[in-house]
Amino acid sequence: MKKKFLLLLLAASTYGFASKAQDTVKTTADAPLVLYGSVDTYYKDDFSGHANIPTSFASDNNSISIGMVDLGLKKTVGNASFVGELSFGPRSDESIPTAGYHIQNLYVSYNLSSKLNATAGYMSTFIGYEVISPAANFNYSTSYLFTNGPFQNAGFKLTYTFSDKVSLMAGIFNDEWNVYTSEHDVSTFGAQLTITPVKNWTAYLNVATGPTSGTEFDLTTAYQITGAFKLGLNAATFTPPHYGGGFDGVALYPQLAVSKAVTLGFREEYFKSKTEDAGSTYVDAGPVAGGSVFASTFTANIKAGPMTFIPEIRLDSINKQEYSSFTDSSGAPSTSATQFVLAAVYAF
Amino acid sequence: MCVLFSKAASAQKDLLSFNEQNKYIYYQVVQQPGSTADTLQSRALYFLQKAYPKNKIKQGETSGNFTGTGQFLILSGIATVKHVDGEINYTYYIECKDQKYRYWLTDFVFTPYKVDRYGNSVPEPGIDIPMETASTKLDKKQAENYLNQIGAYSKQFGEALKHYMLKPAALPKEEKKKVISTKDW
Repeated sequence: MKKKFLLLLLAASTYGFASKAQDTVKTTADAPLVLYGSVDTYYKDDFSGHANIPTSFASDNNSISIGMVDLGLKKTVGNASFVGELSFGPRSDESIPTAGYHIQNLYVSYNLSSKLNATAGYMSTFIGYEVISPAANFNYSTSYLFTNGPFQNAGFKLTYTFSDKVSLMAGIFNDEWNVYTSEHDVSTFGAQLTITPVKNWTAYLNVATGPTSGTEFDLTTAYQITGAFKLGLNAATFTPPHYGGGFDGVALYPQLAVSKAVTLGFREEYFKSKTEDAGSTYVDAGPVAGGSVFASTFTANIKAGPMTFIPEIRLDSINKQEYSSFTDSSGAPSTSATQFVLAAVYAF
Repeated sequence: MCVLFSKAASAQKDLLSFNEQNKYIYYQVVQQPGSTADTLQSRALYFLQKAYPKNKIKQGETSGNFTGTGQFLILSGIATVKHVDGEINYTYYIECKDQKYRYWLTDFVFTPYKVDRYGNSVPEPGIDIPMETASTKLDKKQAENYLNQIGAYSKQFGEALKHYMLKPAALPKEEKKKVISTKDW
């Protein structure tokens, strides 16, 4: 077995050298097989002694807990490319409702021309500021807007690039979010207009609408104003298909790099659960329908090579007791909750 | 073999020098007896169009030279599986005279990449690191690795240019199929 493996390795090496020798002036090559991913772990302490804040991930209280191992592979040859991204762990389980599946991204993509791209498969959603991977978020805890929006959309989309400053994506997606197969049909329409008004400022105007999934309009934008200061904004409104309800919200993300290794950031979010009609079965992660919450999160990113340490403190405050499910250390109802998180994320 | 490769790779950084503006530069003068400036110029243009089609080309201020910008990816990782760390943007200059030409690559600026929600490696906006200041903004090992890759890329650029300068600027030959007649013995 070992011999076979060595022979195979030798054959592969020889093939590599032989291929190279045949074209000594080749200067452009297809991208190599690229590996990427992350591993994360965290400790959370809600000051009440039990978990209160209902947003996604980092749900264990007073425990050194794991997030997920995320492993992606991608390759481009000519105009064709694929991405396959697998994840395992509690963070993965909370992001994928289908038990036993561990896929964050699985799609194929083809450049039909230099301006038109076609992509099909299961993809991270185009909606929202925050994402599932902890390596791509600044804050470790997540926003209400993220938690209540889509995580992934399976479908087919076309993206046309008009210029360096404007592109448009339009696609048709499965009737429900975050699932690998549709419940009934492929009936969610999605579109994203990308605008880059000035260098380092990009804005995305998004819509996803369908008779089963409901309708979400979303604005996501980020502007790297100086080398050290970045400002992000996310605003969205969602309406379920029947009986009202849904949510409105806005979140601001200022971030300031104070040294080579340390960036400080703040996320201020306002999130309102809209009132529902009788018969509604819609439930969001947040205040009871009719209530609203301000969530203030102070986060630092301390980089040490591929590792990022993320200390974070967060205070959520709901406008009225009747809309709140928070409880204090004695178990009495409360309108506010405070938590501290220390996370470590290794990205590669 | 791994040790040899490692030594060879680490030596690539030494191919770079500093210019008058204290910027990294890969500079070469090549003698090519028997070739006129016009010939070398047309071959240099053909080289840029064919070997580096994505590079921006503009005619220099004086006749016989070209300048422009290009970019390439900085990778890390093991042999067949790589991670995209970022891209290097650079400026090149090629000048042709009778029987000789010179070229250089300089203004190497590193832009780190991040992985976006779809798994794509994309530039981090607003973060551009001139390689001269890389040691203050990147890890020492990282900066050395990137300089080695810049040296290797520059060397490859020079070797490709030399190849094109030595042969006439002609369209690639049509590949002839090797046909065997089974009628003849």
